[in-house]
Amino acid sequence: MAIIPLRSGGWQGLREALADRMPIEKISFKTLIQKKEVPVHRAAWAYYLGGLVLFCFLIQLVTGVLLLFYYQPTVSDAHASVEYITKYVSGGALIRNLHTWAASAMIFFVLCHLLTTFAMKAFEKPREITWISGVLLLLITFSFGFTGYLLPWHQIAVNATKVGLQSIEEAGRYLPGQLSEMPGRVRELIQGEAAVGQATLSRFYAIHVVFLPLAVFGLIGLHLLTVQLHGMSQGVDKVTGKTERFFPFFVLKDFSLWGIVFLIAAVVALCLPFEAFFSYPLFAPYDALGSTPDGIKPEWYFFFIYYPLELLPFWVVMLGQMVVLGVLFAAPWIFKGTSRRTLTTIAAAAAAYLIIITLFGQHIYEFFKGDM
Amino acid sequence: MRIGMWISRSVAAGWVAFALSSHAHPEFQIFVQQNSSRNVDCAMCHAHPDGPDGLKPGQIGSLSHEEIAQLQDARAAFDPGHVVDNPLLNAFGNSLVEQLGKRKLLELRQHPEQLPDAIGYTSDIDGDGIPDAEEYLAGTHPVDPQHGDPWRLFVINMRRNAFHIVMLVLATAAGLFGLNNLLRWFELRQRIEDEAEDDVPPVGDSGRA
Repeated sequence: MAIIPLRSGGWQGLREALADRMPIEKISFKTLIQKKEVPVHRAAWAYYLGGLVLFCFLIQLVTGVLLLFYYQPTVSDAHASVEYITKYVSGGALIRNLHTWAASAMIFFVLCHLLTTFAMKAFEKPREITWISGVLLLLITFSFGFTGYLLPWHQIAVNATKVGLQSIEEAGRYLPGQLSEMPGRVRELIQGEAAVGQATLSRFYAIHVVFLPLAVFGLIGLHLLTVQLHGMSQGVDKVTGKTERFFPFFVLKDFSLWGIVFLIAAVVALCLPFEAFFSYPLFAPYDALGSTPDGIKPEWYFFFIYYPLELLPFWVVMLGQMVVLGVLFAAPWIFKGTSRRTLTTIAAAAAAYLIIITLFGQHIYEFFKGDM
Repeated sequence: MRIGMWISRSVAAGWVAFALSSHAHPEFQIFVQQNSSRNVDCAMCHAHPDGPDGLKPGQIGSLSHEEIAQLQDARAAFDPGHVVDNPLLNAFGNSLVEQLGKRKLLELRQHPEQLPDAIGYTSDIDGDGIPDAEEYLAGTHPVDPQHGDPWRLFVINMRRNAFHIVMLVLATAAGLFGLNNLLRWFELRQRIEDEAEDDVPPVGDSGRA
């Protein structure tokens, strides 16, 4: 008999904890929109970053749907269809460039959003669900980048994907017993056949255009709902007491920022082809029997893990990655009593690492490998 | 039967290839790589990235009779001015033969740095605004309008798309102007509402007055 009250107490506790974090009784137009207030202080600019991520996702959605009209997800036609879009479809080069640049912008803003919300301690109770859904959205954003990279089926796309999939299998070497076979099976599941080929392209295509967008819709819905239910986090230690109404004031300022970002993205997409930054042999159609060109690398947003993988033992990087991922998910509990000052220092150190490894990763690699 | 046919065709194509002895000139590629620090391959001038030797499309072993005739015509173009359509070359490779002739081109193998001056800085096959000679020096693709020095492409495309950019800026400015005015209107309305709330005397005050 003593166990039952404990169980019901545990269940009750869980219900109460969930009710605190998802106060669904508060869902109404009045509380979600009309009554919501946004704090005004020196770090209030960070509140706009989440909106910018959402805006970039909307650009991706629209341009992605337009690209679907012409893209052919087969190894024989994928590259030719992308070339056709770029060269012959009216506005095709602009749409494709916009898709590519907005993908980079989305990842840039999502990382900024993560670091600023971490520094502002926006994961504090009762915002744990907002934080965890945000970390999941971050992982999905990277998955968008990884799966989308293969679709043009050019040399760099296929070879970089091979390297990425290979590193999944390599993780098996460090796992005990039957677990060591798991990464290989995951690789097979993703790859779909013995080597990167049609099955891989079909799977990446399905994941990129169906699974991930559906997952994003669900998670963004949850993320935004919890943000609206709890309101914006105070974000700073010294509260100014000043606030502004979310609707219409914050929303209209958000739209203005979206307009400016769209102008910049459109001008860059119109004038600066993304591929111009790379050597052209990397964008030739993938030839399984041909020579692999030099300079195969993942996209810039994977440099934070690519260069450590090139320089350090595989297990060190994998362990580090698992620890970082674990810390990200458990941040609301690990950093419960940490001051905003300390969190800001950690976020600044993480930002410095990301900037240095992204901009100077190649130099660091050459320095340590003695090629300079 | 099919395999036998395929083998005999491959052997025949190999013999044709040997007899025709395709001419790749890696001196140019080596110079461009050193000069530009960019990785380049045979696709700068040739139809196939791995060069003219082989059986793949754009390589000598894959040529039809008509294409072999075109190849022979192109090889006879020792002097400049001959319009050639060598199936082993791309538009840039063919334009080099047309502008310089095979004789001069073979001489330039010893001095690949002189090629840009020899062809001049007027030809721009891909129409991206960067002359072929500059693309050669920069190691960018002379027949791909999406490929070139990023900063130069940006500046050139800014000029080319000036009208579109001006329209984009105007549209954004108009949108921002509208949003800003809407924001001010909301602020004004809120201030009026706040002032009206302040002016309303508390309940019960009227009796005392």
